[in-house]
Amino acid sequence: MKTSVVGSRVTREDAWGKVFGQTKFPADVNLPGQLYAVVIRSPHPHAKVLSINCDYALEMAGVVAVLSAKDVPHNAHGVLFRDQPVLAEYVRMVGDPVAVVGAETEEIAREAAKRVQVEYQVLPTVFDPEEAMKPDVLPLHPSLRPTNVLYHMPIRRGSMEEGWAKADVVIEKEYNTQHVDHAFLQPEAVLAHLDERGHLVVQTATQYAHYDRGEIAHALGLRFSQVQVKTLAVGGAFGGREDISLQVIAALMAWKTLRPVKMENTREESFYSHSKRHPMRMQYKTGATKDGKLVAMEAKIVGDSGAYASWSINVLRKAAVHATGPYVIPNVSIDSYAVFTNNPFTGAMRGFGAAQTVLAYESQMDLLAKEIGISPLEIRLRNIFKVGSTTATGQVLTSSVPLDQCLAKITPYLQRGGESE
Amino acid sequence: MIEIKLVVNEKPYNLNVEPSERLIDALRNRLGLLGTKEGCGEGECGACTIIMDGKTVNSCLVLAAQANGSVLTTIEGVGNRRSPHPVQKAFVEVGAVQCGFCTPGMVLSAKNLLDKNSHPSESEIGVAMSGNLCRCTGYDKILRAVKIAAEEGKQ
Repeated sequence: MKTSVVGSRVTREDAWGKVFGQTKFPADVNLPGQLYAVVIRSPHPHAKVLSINCDYALEMAGVVAVLSAKDVPHNAHGVLFRDQPVLAEYVRMVGDPVAVVGAETEEIAREAAKRVQVEYQVLPTVFDPEEAMKPDVLPLHPSLRPTNVLYHMPIRRGSMEEGWAKADVVIEKEYNTQHVDHAFLQPEAVLAHLDERGHLVVQTATQYAHYDRGEIAHALGLRFSQVQVKTLAVGGAFGGREDISLQVIAALMAWKTLRPVKMENTREESFYSHSKRHPMRMQYKTGATKDGKLVAMEAKIVGDSGAYASWSINVLRKAAVHATGPYVIPNVSIDSYAVFTNNPFTGAMRGFGAAQTVLAYESQMDLLAKEIGISPLEIRLRNIFKVGSTTATGQVLTSSVPLDQCLAKITPYLQRGGESE
Repeated sequence: MIEIKLVVNEKPYNLNVEPSERLIDALRNRLGLLGTKEGCGEGECGACTIIMDGKTVNSCLVLAAQANGSVLTTIEGVGNRRSPHPVQKAFVEVGAVQCGFCTPGMVLSAKNLLDKNSHPSESEIGVAMSGNLCRCTGYDKILRAVKIAAEEGKQ
């Protein structure tokens, strides 16, 4: 197949606007008469909101409205399940939005936000996913799941008994990865207004405009046709703009006040308001014969979903599917879990669950090679996927498996001990 | 309010600014120069880089009043579609632009380097660009673009 694009140098359509600073990101659009809105976020990881006193905030000149859970017609959103409140009455993580202040200037809105008094009943917390998944721990989403186990993906292949019987060398280790923030360079910003038709127009940077429209419409009780989401330039995302951050809140404020509403996160607010990469605890047991052939692998992967589901099911499924790495292992038992805790919620981020398990399976390969007394390259060459290989999930690979070529390319580098030429 | 005089992109301005007003806010909100971006507000990311009296500064860390009497260049003062600056041209051609939020600051850091040193070494380029963070590109193409712009300037 010949195309005019693949294999040729193509200039990005949007590059010129960006090098001249002309490109409009959502922080760069404004409307006359716009309000600024600032969110009040929970300092507690698990709490009930008992009362919100906005009298001191509303007393300030320039404050137009303070909204909370009672003002949201359908107070829920979420990519897989609507388990996340627009404005929380029940807080499941630090940073959950509890109320929003709309004012004539950003300075007034920020000052007024400090004067909103929220009374919380602090509840017991659970931060360790393995602790959280025990059946007697109070579930964070009882209407969704009876325990904090949101998802379990088992993969079984071959016979573990036979596999371990053939293993001359067994390596058993635990690996842990941590939360990671996308830290996209442009903090979240939104401009929401009602147009001449009375329709809500929400301008933002998002990875998922149609979903945003659906969630805004749902939360406000509007028809899809009454909501328009315009995606402006997206200043980095990496998965972190798949969930809703400020979109529904800004739309709500515009709907209630009939004024254009601008919201901009500070970097600190940005850290609180979007998902993170899943920390994973990965217990691996891998066995090989003395000539370096993999024969068995058992893995337990526990992913910390944090307070909300977001994309956790898809992420932990992908972690499970990729748990063997690109290696043929005839006998496999994998259990992958996504578990609710009171940590920041976790979702999509570059690799979508496939990145974390690399640490575990590649470390296992290196340790096995050392134990057997062959090179790290050699053990990989003896086990890599090729055309015709069967993966742990039973997929037969029929084309495009050029791992042997990749390894051949880096062999000189490895033979130099990792030094550049 | 404090009255300040400054020159921005070769135009003189008299502005009344708040004592606590940051230079980035004066540029964006009073002068409408929206090409200067705010990424962190604390001098970490360099997205708000401008050139002030021949030096790059984070405009989020400079008070507007401190810029009294200064000569500033923002991204709006560098190149245009008819005649792009060599740095801008190289950024586009090499593919150093992805999301573009860091790009104005990157271009200004690179321009200021080449204004002062038309034959920078690789390590001098690295140092000059070290105050600007990019989350998309991995920097390789950005550094390559600055090198190409420098070579073009030599000819």
